[in-house]
Amino acid sequence: MSADPSQPGAPSGGELSPVIELLDVRKIYRVGTELVHALRGVTLDIRENEYVAIMGPSGSGKSTLMNILGCLDILTSGEYRLGGQDVSKLSQSKLAGIRGRRIGFVFQSFELLPRTTALKNVELPLTYTRAPHRRRRAIEALERVSLLDRMHHRPNQLSGGQKQRVAIARALAQQPDIILADEPTGNLDSTTGEEIMAVFDRLRAEGQTIIIVTHEDEIAQRCERVIKLRDGQVVLDTGRAARRFAREAGADRALLGAAAEMAT
Amino acid sequence: MSRAARALLFALLFIPNRVAGIAGNVVTALIQIWANKIRSLLTVLGIIIAVTSIISVVTLVEGFGDYVTNFLRGLGTNMMVVYPEWIRGPRGEYLRPAEMTVEDIQAVDGAADAIRRVSPVIHQRATVEYGRQQLVGVSMRCTNELFQSIRNFYVDAGRFFGAVDVEAGAPVCVLGREILRKLECDESIVGDYVHVDNQRFRVIGLLESKGSFMGDNQDELLLIPWTTGLKLYPENRKYLAFYVEAMEEPQVPKAEGQLVSILRKRHALRPGDRNDFGIFKQDEILQEFRKIRVVATSVLAGIVSISLLVGGIGIMNVMLVSVTERTREIGLRKSVGARRRDILLQFLTEAVVLSTVGGAIGIAAGYAITYVAALHPSMVEVRVPLWSVALALGFSAGVGIFFGIIPAFKAAIIHPIDALRHE
Repeated sequence: MSADPSQPGAPSGGELSPVIELLDVRKIYRVGTELVHALRGVTLDIRENEYVAIMGPSGSGKSTLMNILGCLDILTSGEYRLGGQDVSKLSQSKLAGIRGRRIGFVFQSFELLPRTTALKNVELPLTYTRAPHRRRRAIEALERVSLLDRMHHRPNQLSGGQKQRVAIARALAQQPDIILADEPTGNLDSTTGEEIMAVFDRLRAEGQTIIIVTHEDEIAQRCERVIKLRDGQVVLDTGRAARRFAREAGADRALLGAAAEMAT
Repeated sequence: MSRAARALLFALLFIPNRVAGIAGNVVTALIQIWANKIRSLLTVLGIIIAVTSIISVVTLVEGFGDYVTNFLRGLGTNMMVVYPEWIRGPRGEYLRPAEMTVEDIQAVDGAADAIRRVSPVIHQRATVEYGRQQLVGVSMRCTNELFQSIRNFYVDAGRFFGAVDVEAGAPVCVLGREILRKLECDESIVGDYVHVDNQRFRVIGLLESKGSFMGDNQDELLLIPWTTGLKLYPENRKYLAFYVEAMEEPQVPKAEGQLVSILRKRHALRPGDRNDFGIFKQDEILQEFRKIRVVATSVLAGIVSISLLVGGIGIMNVMLVSVTERTREIGLRKSVGARRRDILLQFLTEAVVLSTVGGAIGIAAGYAITYVAALHPSMVEVRVPLWSVALALGFSAGVGIFFGIIPAFKAAIIHPIDALRHE
């Protein structure tokens, strides 16, 4: 394990570059006079097009980790590189810009603006980054979640699943580096939850990097990598093992290929 | 690229986006206002009252101002009326009228270089009879041939009496249009005879129509030569009044000074004695009107400042409630890229739109009030001045900014995590 080339700072050839790199990230809150160590040195990297579930019981620090990954919160110490850029010491205003351009949030309770059409909801992030062609891009995003026919409906005219798809389209509108979904199926029945997960699966197949914070094992199992936290530390990360396996499998194929060549 | 050029380029690229952002904020604000119609209406009540008061009071004061100005212009801008006062005793009691004789008038006419001309005048109420019609208490002036040019009041049918008629004390008269109307006859009366206080007068001319001033119809007027008037009412011989026309308008004060010194000398008044005659000038009307205007303006300012304050506090209150209600929305907006200034601008825009909508309702109400007021028959002509509309809108927008800044700031500094956790 000690010479694992998948460690941050040592990207190996053939693998996609890391989108997220956390290096010994710590977060300490002050609650009254007490200091709460929410994260106690988290180091991990997430590469492009990874499909990651972050799990952990309440108080494990998974919400804090998600807030930090989403640039909603700043770290006490350590380093956070998003798309190669160090975002640990940016101002609030810069962080807002990063959120707008690089991160697409999906929330448990959708958080759509009431009295505002699906299309306008999807356009919202684009108005803050003052992106051009907002309408066209919003329509494209709605198309990706198959909601073109509900474009002019307001949230109160949509079902829960449709609302969450609008929220996903809103997250996609900016073509973010990562989609950060916080219990995206938490407010939905299992059928609808399944429908939403299918949307994530498809987006992943289209190349999107997705991080889902969840406490449901079924959801986590759909992801290819699970990161479990407890007491502010990573206690399980299937990513390293999985990647090593893939790499070894690749080496095996190369060997087989060479053997086949020799055989002819 | 120089710093200035970069700034210009930045502005050119950035301003359309900024404008689009504000337009989006305005739309959001209107949606919010419409979603809370009753609450919004109650909130802006103070603004509505303030703006309605501004529009209606300013319009009425301006309307009366124009009216007075027009009346004075019609009167002739360099005209004064001089009349004998009552002589008062040591305790201020009225003793007897002071005298004003034709010699006094002639003295003024000849000896003052700032005075162009004078014309004696006797005010009387007379009974006019024509055929079977009888008018009682008709306003009559006995004057001379200079009346027309001094008072700026001309005949437009027949002729005015000339110096010869005045010299001879001829029984001729000129009628105003209102008398014609009340006698139920037309211009054919010129050349015909009427009875004025039982004396037969030939109608030689008709005055142009001047309309009424403060409910006083200027066309209900009968003019005869003052010499003829003295024959009819000899008791007026020692108590004449007269019109004085100054050379030019700026010379009115000089003309006044000259006639005062002439009359005081002739009446043998000692220094310290009060004038035993009065002078009526246009600027006295103007000053009276200015007093009314000052009172109206201060009352207006009082109403407006109190209701703007109340309205502003209402807006601040409802915006604070709105910020709390929409904390999650603020959190969402921040998580999708809104910066503090975006949120600040959004809520500030909302406060300004709210107060401006109130202002717009107030302007409409102000127009409605002046329209209804104008329906009254003796109401002067009024038109809402554009500057009062601009002032009202400016005030309401200003209140929105002033009272909206605290709630907007409160919204802007909410931390996105806390906001998203808010129930």
